[in-house]
Amino acid sequence: MAGLSLEHIGKTYPNGYEGVKDFNLEIEDKEFIIFVGPSGCGKSTTLRMIAGLEDITSGTLKIDGRVVNDVEPADRDIAMVFQTYALYPHMTVFDNMAFPLKLRKVPQADIDKAVHEAARILDLEKLLDRKPSALSGGQRQRVAMGRAIVRNPKVYLMDEPLSNLDAKLRVQMRAEISKLHDRLGATIIYVTHDQTEAMTLGTRIVVMKDGVMQQVDTPSKLYSEPCNLFVAGFIGSPQMNFIDATVGESAGKVTLTFGANTITVPDAKAAALKPYVGKVVIAGIRPEDVIEEHEHADGKNLSEPIDATVTVYELLGSEAMIYGDVDGGSVSAHVSATNPARTGSRIKVAFDMDKLHVFDKETEQAVVH
Amino acid sequence: MAKDAFGAKVKERANWPVTVGLILVALVVIVFPLYMTVRIAVSKSMPTGLDIFSLPATWDLANFAEAMEKTQFFSSFMNSLIITVVAVVVSILVHSLAAYAIGRNMERRAFKLSYLFIIAGMYVPFAILMMPLVKQTAIMHLDNMVGVMLLYIVFYMPMNIMLYTGYLRNIPVALEEAARVDGASTWTTYWKVIFPIMKPMHATVAILTGLAVWNDVMTPLVIMGGSGVYTLPLAQMSFQTAFGTDYPLAFASYLLAMLPMIIFYIVAQKQIIGGVTNGAVK
Repeated sequence: MAGLSLEHIGKTYPNGYEGVKDFNLEIEDKEFIIFVGPSGCGKSTTLRMIAGLEDITSGTLKIDGRVVNDVEPADRDIAMVFQTYALYPHMTVFDNMAFPLKLRKVPQADIDKAVHEAARILDLEKLLDRKPSALSGGQRQRVAMGRAIVRNPKVYLMDEPLSNLDAKLRVQMRAEISKLHDRLGATIIYVTHDQTEAMTLGTRIVVMKDGVMQQVDTPSKLYSEPCNLFVAGFIGSPQMNFIDATVGESAGKVTLTFGANTITVPDAKAAALKPYVGKVVIAGIRPEDVIEEHEHADGKNLSEPIDATVTVYELLGSEAMIYGDVDGGSVSAHVSATNPARTGSRIKVAFDMDKLHVFDKETEQAVVH
Repeated sequence: MAKDAFGAKVKERANWPVTVGLILVALVVIVFPLYMTVRIAVSKSMPTGLDIFSLPATWDLANFAEAMEKTQFFSSFMNSLIITVVAVVVSILVHSLAAYAIGRNMERRAFKLSYLFIIAGMYVPFAILMMPLVKQTAIMHLDNMVGVMLLYIVFYMPMNIMLYTGYLRNIPVALEEAARVDGASTWTTYWKVIFPIMKPMHATVAILTGLAVWNDVMTPLVIMGGSGVYTLPLAQMSFQTAFGTDYPLAFASYLLAMLPMIIFYIVAQKQIIGGVTNGAVK
């Protein structure tokens, strides 16, 4: 296994379109790195540049300290799992998995051993004689994974490997991939547009937008301290609430005003907001940090109560989501399933001020978390 | 009764008058002439009047033996077979390879132009080329079987390349990328991945090219006529003389010539059916 180094990587297409701009990242050995972002953000392009399937326009790519910009994919010691699996339809599962080894002229006995070992790990032993057309989606996905494993490469590249599976299978395979990472101790770079996959699998997540890396961090850090409005909105489901608010100051306290509501910012966050007094900022608060009056709020640093009217009530089973209008904006909140609020109810909510995020309205960068 | 996507029973609509009408047309156009061929081939002499509709009094196979002798069946058959097999095999190898190069680079101007250039060949009638080709092959000492084979390989290139490039569009590029990452060179990728996947198209090309070459009279007639080497259709022309046509013998020999192609079709058509790329992606 090995580390990777991406220095000022850029991709410009012949028509002048910049797919990836100045991408810098150091990937440690055995890391599980996730590239996440909306479609067209350059995450797959970056992965394909690492694989060698796409030319690198500018910058340096190193795998295990060796510059590989102009090295053929086969010589980069990487294995890739494609979104579409890309299994060879005319070959059996065994032959599909043995193909990369046969090309490397590995002795037949070693091929047999490697394929059976991979098949055992992925529970494919009984399917080795089948053709891909006789396999289910999940089984095909595992074969694609097996083809990568048999080579024991330095780096695994996975391009949205679960996106063609149904929801249930996706959850199951997600756990399998996680186990596989622990078991193989491999460096994995994984592309997805699904932020749940990103949060559950990655040791670090790279959030991308329009070819530009937005933030690289651990899942928890990314969730609690998003660096800008895009990351804050992209990570977390349901999305973080954003409300335009005016920063004010009264009696030595910094406040945020939206509509008829004014909430007091705790002292710990006040200093960062001082330069914004009189200006409009974007206040961000996650649905689980919006507390309805019937919910437990022990130990939380609550804001002043805010009147809201419930517009949508969604029961999710053990909990519920409520979406409501407040003066000056709208908020969504996680509540317990026993909460009496229903569509049309007039309720009171408060924000957990320790979890409040504030973003500069112009630059969209985080001001304070 | 058929079922729809949700499992509900749907009444199938069948237009019986049209169906029966079409079957009758097929009977008159295809089955009856075929019956006539067999009927005449097993008769001592050409049946006259309404006799053609009745079964023959005796099934006489002597015509077949005589036809084989007159056409020097085995040597003409071997010539036809060699020309057909070589033309088909080389077509499959060369045309699929050319189509792969063109089809996967269609966004480049040079490849797009070469594609259009090759396809344009389909619109040039053989009659226009015939006389210059006779001259040209004679000068190049290709007025023989080799020349005929070469001409067939070129004649069917436009159609075959069009078929192959069309089929290639349905083969996901991800397969080739996977092979590249797995360590395959372009040649290995073509040979080990693309060529086997194109099997249904190889069968189509083999049937279309094979049938056309096997049945063709014109090319061998003008290119190697008078060389003393005959293909089956060429040899069969001996039944037509200035004094008339010996139908029983001619039809017996036509039936003999048909047989290998029917067998070939039955073998190859299985390959056409069935989406071979099922399970490649998704």
